[in-house]
Amino acid sequence: MSTTATTLTAAAAPLRARRSLLAWCLRYALVLPPAAVVVIFVAWPLWVTLYHSFFQLDARGHAVAFAGSKNYQALFASPLFHQVLWNTAVYSVLAVVLCVSIAFGLSLLLYGRVAASSRALLVALFSPTVMPMIAAANIWLYFLIPQFGMVDQLLRWAGLGHENWLGHPGTALLVMVMLFVWKYAPYFALFLLAGLQAIPPDVWEALRTEDPYGWASFRRVILPILRPMLAFVTTMAVLYAVETVDPVFAMTQGGPNNGTNLVMFYLYNLGFNYYSWGPAAALSVLLMIGLSTLSGLSLIVLERRAFHWQ
Amino acid sequence: MAVNGMALGMRPGKPSTLPHHVASRRTWRARLRQAVLWFVACVWGFPTLWVLYETFFAGAGRFGFTFANLAQAWQVAPFGRYYLNTLVMVFGLLAVQLLFGAVVGFVLARYDFPLKSVITLIFLFQVVVPIYAVMIQDYRMLSSLHLLNTMAGVMLPYTVSGIAVLSFRQAFRSVPRELEEAARLDGYGTFGIFRRVYLPQAIPAALAFAVVSVTYHWTDFLWPMIVTNTDNARPVVVGLAMMAQASESGMQWNLLAAGTAIVILPVLILFTLATRRILAAFAATFNW
Repeated sequence: MSTTATTLTAAAAPLRARRSLLAWCLRYALVLPPAAVVVIFVAWPLWVTLYHSFFQLDARGHAVAFAGSKNYQALFASPLFHQVLWNTAVYSVLAVVLCVSIAFGLSLLLYGRVAASSRALLVALFSPTVMPMIAAANIWLYFLIPQFGMVDQLLRWAGLGHENWLGHPGTALLVMVMLFVWKYAPYFALFLLAGLQAIPPDVWEALRTEDPYGWASFRRVILPILRPMLAFVTTMAVLYAVETVDPVFAMTQGGPNNGTNLVMFYLYNLGFNYYSWGPAAALSVLLMIGLSTLSGLSLIVLERRAFHWQ
Repeated sequence: MAVNGMALGMRPGKPSTLPHHVASRRTWRARLRQAVLWFVACVWGFPTLWVLYETFFAGAGRFGFTFANLAQAWQVAPFGRYYLNTLVMVFGLLAVQLLFGAVVGFVLARYDFPLKSVITLIFLFQVVVPIYAVMIQDYRMLSSLHLLNTMAGVMLPYTVSGIAVLSFRQAFRSVPRELEEAARLDGYGTFGIFRRVYLPQAIPAALAFAVVSVTYHWTDFLWPMIVTNTDNARPVVVGLAMMAQASESGMQWNLLAAGTAIVILPVLILFTLATRRILAAFAATFNW
């Protein structure tokens, strides 16, 4: 009895091995083509970009000679790049600070009344959230047309003359900041609102009886609970601000006098208008490091938040 | 950190037996809050409303309503074609991403094979790397494949979404094995189990991913702008941007308003019809 059983299993072993080999092949056949797409369109280009950033490239973008860090040096030697960095820094800091604080205020205003609010209010508030950035930029462009636009008409009505808002570097950058705040503050408010709603009702009830006027308890209890969500929203806002390129295209093309030339627009220009592939590759590498660190960070923060509450 | 009233050293709350002055003060504050909220909503909604107003009422005389601006904008730029391109690209991408996501997610969640962790890492990598970092190389690759200025070219780098793969994997992993064994005893094959047991469990994840993917690709601008250079493959957002540039170099301003209205009206109508559902979807998911 037992001998037949062992011979049976012995006979089955190669069969099983062949079947498991077949199963492996099937699994690879399902998984490898999509993985290959990622490798071809993300990993390999990234490697080539990294490689090219250390090489001297000809006009057609082929590597001709090792250049060490010369591409990076050329990038940082350009005064235009300094201005671009400065613009991006000013824009990002202003946009993120304003956007996150307004979003926070909005989420506090909205807390507990989304269900009771009228549809008109919600549509008005969240209409910028659901439209593309290009459309939002066009709306503001239309709004700010010199002489003819709404803003100038109001100014004239108030007797304040007119102003070409997109014609001066400072005001043009401020318009970009306003556009960012207008577009994204309600969106980020939704996240903060979700954070507020995740606070258990007994906390609110306890705070209400303990401290009905509530500033101290807000600062001591609600803010610390919301901190992970605030951190997540802030990293996301930084990411969005640094990646801003659509409104630059639609509104100013980087002008006037490079006053709104932000880093993504500069990268686009380096690659597709100036054809200086080497510095473009160097800038891509730097952006890749910065942006993916940030988005990785936001994921970690979010994970911690999820861990926190579950 | 367990957050509840007791842990914070507070007394359990008694339900609303507040002194009269506190209660009246609270309704007063609630009214003020409501008023501020309405004010903010008016400020936020005003620019959009103004553009829509100008589109439908400008140049129509007093109290008139006109489609002339819309019709003129529609003639200046082929918005019908743009919309068709956008629909094909957005929903084509969504279908392909969901297909790859479900299949790869299933295999990764359910089976073991050599190098599985490396392959998972490849998909995670795709989530973290921004398209901007590889834009120039991808453009050159498309150029050598003669795919520039085609919808396939715009879609190719996005066809596999790491987010889709990872969220399907997560959803499939939470399916209990007992369910699968019961289905196998009932005579289902592997494909039947995938379709009848696993896929239904992943519907919420798939819907959440669909919202992210559709909003991202519908509003995406830089990449389609670089790849396309004629109206044949341009999505509506790129078409609108091109029209706006033309308007800055001396086109009529009312066309800019009308073109913008053409782009935002469908989504605004959709949003008005399903306001709360869409807001809930936005809050449940996020743009990576």
